[in-house]
Amino acid sequence: MSDVAFEQHAPRPAAAPPWWRRLIGFNLLAASALGIGGWFLGHWVGTRITIGMDSQLGTDQNDIATFMGFLFAVSGWLIGLGFLNYPLGRMLGRPPSLREKEEEGPGRYFRLCTDHKVVGMQYFVTILLFFLIAGLNAMFIRAELLTPKEKLWNANQYLSLVGLHGTMMLMMMSAAILGPFANYFVPIMIGARRMAFPRLESLSFWLVPPAGLILLSAVALGGFPTGWTGYAPLANTARAGMDAYLFAFALIGLSMTIVGANMLATVLTMRAPGMTWTRLPIFVWGVICTSVLMVLAAPVLFATLSMVALDRTADTSFFLASAGGSPFLYTNLFWFFGHPEVYILALPGFGVVLEILPVFSRKPLWGYRLAVAGMLGVTLLSFMVWQHHLFVSGMNADLRPFYMLTTELISVPTGFIFLNGLGTLWRGRIRFTVPMLFAMAFFSNFLIGGLSGVFLSDVPSDVSTHGSYFVMAHFHYTIMGGLVFALFAATYYWLPKMTGLRFNETLAKIHFWGMFVFFNFTFAPLFVAGMLGMPRRVSVYSSSLQGINDFVSVSAFLLGLSMLVFLINLVYSTVFARVPAEANPWHSRGLEFQLPTPIPVRNFERTPVIESGPYEYGVPGAPPVAALGRPAVAGGGGSSP
Amino acid sequence: MSRGARLLAVAGATAVAVALVAIYVADFLAANPTPLRAAPAPRGAQLTLQTVASYGHDPHPDWVSYLARDGSGKWHHTTIFKVPAHALVRVTVYQYDTATGLRNPFWSQVRGTVGNTMTVDGRTLHALPPDDASHTFAIPELGVSVPLKGVGDNAPNQCSVAPCTAAQAHTTVTFTFRTGNPGRFRWQCFVPCAASFVFGNGGPMQSIGWMDGYVQVV
Repeated sequence: MSDVAFEQHAPRPAAAPPWWRRLIGFNLLAASALGIGGWFLGHWVGTRITIGMDSQLGTDQNDIATFMGFLFAVSGWLIGLGFLNYPLGRMLGRPPSLREKEEEGPGRYFRLCTDHKVVGMQYFVTILLFFLIAGLNAMFIRAELLTPKEKLWNANQYLSLVGLHGTMMLMMMSAAILGPFANYFVPIMIGARRMAFPRLESLSFWLVPPAGLILLSAVALGGFPTGWTGYAPLANTARAGMDAYLFAFALIGLSMTIVGANMLATVLTMRAPGMTWTRLPIFVWGVICTSVLMVLAAPVLFATLSMVALDRTADTSFFLASAGGSPFLYTNLFWFFGHPEVYILALPGFGVVLEILPVFSRKPLWGYRLAVAGMLGVTLLSFMVWQHHLFVSGMNADLRPFYMLTTELISVPTGFIFLNGLGTLWRGRIRFTVPMLFAMAFFSNFLIGGLSGVFLSDVPSDVSTHGSYFVMAHFHYTIMGGLVFALFAATYYWLPKMTGLRFNETLAKIHFWGMFVFFNFTFAPLFVAGMLGMPRRVSVYSSSLQGINDFVSVSAFLLGLSMLVFLINLVYSTVFARVPAEANPWHSRGLEFQLPTPIPVRNFERTPVIESGPYEYGVPGAPPVAALGRPAVAGGGGSSP
Repeated sequence: MSRGARLLAVAGATAVAVALVAIYVADFLAANPTPLRAAPAPRGAQLTLQTVASYGHDPHPDWVSYLARDGSGKWHHTTIFKVPAHALVRVTVYQYDTATGLRNPFWSQVRGTVGNTMTVDGRTLHALPPDDASHTFAIPELGVSVPLKGVGDNAPNQCSVAPCTAAQAHTTVTFTFRTGNPGRFRWQCFVPCAASFVFGNGGPMQSIGWMDGYVQVV
C-alpha cells in the first residue's frame, strides 16, 4: 500500500460511542466467542469426517476431530478479530487503507491494530503471561524433585509438565525480544513510520495467544510425553495432548516465519535516508540475523510437525519404521530447525546487550563491523551444526567429526560478541543502571553456557553427558542466562519509553540481584548432578543426589520469587506510582529516544534524515543522530555528553 | 481511575490469576483415579481385579482396562491400589479379554510371587505358553511379573462392557506377593494391547486408570 493511500484517510473526529457499543465488533470478545464456537464446530465436522475410518474409530481418540477443532477455533479467532475484512473488502473493490486500524485509546490493544507500537505492547503482555505460566511449570517440576521418589505428580504428569515448560518457553521465547521490542522499535530505529506489512505483523501476534492456549489444552487432553522435541515414534503413539503440541508449535512456526519475513522486508526497504548499513543500530542487525534464521528454519518446523500430524490422522508413515518411515528423519528435521532456534533465542539478546553497553559506558560500540560479522557468522554456522544433538543416535560415525568441528567453530563468531562487549566497557564511564546490570550478567551467564557447550560439542564428552542434567544446565545458562537476562535488560531499558512511566529502581535492583544470584544457585549445581549421572526428564533419581536437588529446588523457588518482585514492580510502577519517565532517561543517541513520549502514532512528523551513527558517545564534534525537522526532546541525548 | 479502583482491579486480577492456577493444578490432579484400599485378609490383604477388552463407558468406551473390587464387592474403575507394608498381598484377577500373545516370550514366566507361581483356573503354573497370554500384571520395582491367560477366541458369552460378571467367559488367575517398606510403585501391563493404536502402545497403555497404575504400600 502506498503512503498516498495512507494519507487519504486521516483520522476522523467522532464522538466516542458508549462503552457497550464498543464491545460489539471485530475485537477480542468476538474472537473469543468465534474461537470457542469454532472449536465445537470443527470437532463436530471432524467427527463426521471420520465415520468409517478404522484408524480413528475404535481408539476413542479422534485426532482428526481434535485437529479440525483447533483449525476451526483459530479460524474463528482470526475472523472475530477482523482479519478477513481487508481481503474481502479489496475483493469487493474497496480502496486500500490502514485508516481504521491505527487509532488511539485502550481499545486498540484488544483488536487488530496495524500500529507496530501497539503490536509491540500486545506482544509484551502476552509473552510475559506465558513466560510466567511456563515458569510456574518449572516450579512444579522442582517441587517434585525435592524428593528422589515420585511424590507430587505421577510420571506421566511429570513428563507433561516438563514438556509444557520446555515447549512454552521455546515457543514463546522465540518472540520474546522480537515480538515486543523489535516490533515496537525497529521501524523507529530505521526511521520508518511502520512495518512493511502491518497486517501480517498483527497476524503474527494474534497467532500467539491461541497457540499458547492450545498448548495448555494438552493438560485436558491427557498431556504429552515427548518433551519439547516431540520425537517420533513416541509422538505417533501419544495421547491427544500430542495434537495440541503439534498444532500449537506449528502455529508458532507460522508466526515466526511471518515475523522474520516482515522484519527483513522492513529493514531492507524502509530505512530512512542516511540510514546506511554501517549506521544501522546493532540491535537491528541482531533482528536481521534472527529473521534470516526464522525465515529459513521455522518453515521446516511447520512442515515436520505437519508430517507428524499426518501420521497421526491420515495413516501416513513418514516416521514409522515398521511401515517404511524413519524416526531418524524426524530427529534430523526437528534439529535442522531446533539448533537455529537456539540462535533465534540468542541473537536478539546479542543485539540488545550490544545496544545497551555503549549507552551506559558512554563510549562508541567497540568493533561495530566485528559485531555484525559475528552475528552473520553465527547465522551461517547455525545451520551446519544440528547433528551434534544426534551424536549418540547411531548416526554415521564419520559425520561426527564434521559436526563437532562446526559446533566448536561457532564459538569463534560468538567470541566476537564478547570482544565487542569487553572492548566497549574498557575505560568506559560505566553507569550501573538496571539495564546495564542485566546486560553485564548476560555476558557472565552466556560465557558459562558457551564454555559448557564446548564439552557437549566434543563427541567423547558428549557421549557421557548426553541426556543428563549437564545438558540441562548448559542450555539454561544459554537460554535463560542469555535470552531472559537480555529480555529484562531490554525491558528496563525500553519499557519506560513504551509506557512513559518509570520503574521503581529499588525493586528493579532487588529483582536483578535475586535473579542473578538464584539463577546461578539453581543451575550451576546441575552441572554436578549431570556429571554424577542424573538423567533429564525422570522424576525418580538416586537418593544420593537429594542434597543437590533440594538446594536447587529451594534456589529455583527463590528465583521464581525474584520474578514475582518484577511483576510487583511492573504493577506498582504502571498502576499505582505512575511516575512519568523522561523522553530520554538514559541520554541515549538511539533514534527512538529522540522522539517524544508517548511516541506519536505516525512516529515522525516527517521522514528523518540520518546524519551519524547511533553510538558516537564522547566523540568530539559528533553531529546529532538525525535531523527530525524539530528540536530534540528535553533531556535528549542527540549529541554526545 | 481512583487509587481505590486501581487497587480493586489489581486485587481482582490477582484473584483471577490464583483461581486459574488452582484450576490448572486441579486439572492435573483430577487425572488420577481414586485409590482403592485392598480388602484385609489374614497376614495381609486381598486385591481383586478384572481385565476387560473394552470398558464400555465414557470417556473411552473402547479402551482395554483393569478394574478393582472393594470390600463390599463393588467394582471401581481405578488402577491405584493401597496395600499394607510388610505383608502378603493375595491378588485375584478375573481375566475377560482374549489372548493376543506376547511379543517377548520372557514375560511368559511368573516372577516375584511367592514360590514364583500363580494359579490359572486352579492349576499351579510357573509359566504360560506365550501365545496364550492376554495381559501381564508387572510391578518392576518389586520384581513382580505375572502373565494373564486370555479366554479363547471362540468362547461363548464374552464380555464387552465392564464390569463383567462371573457368568461371562473368563479365566481366574491368583498369585501372592510380599510387600516391603512403604512406597509408591508403578505397575504396568507389558503387553501392547491398545487395539487400533500404532504398535498397540497408545491410549490405555500410557494412561493411569487403564492399563497401568500404582501400588501404594502404606
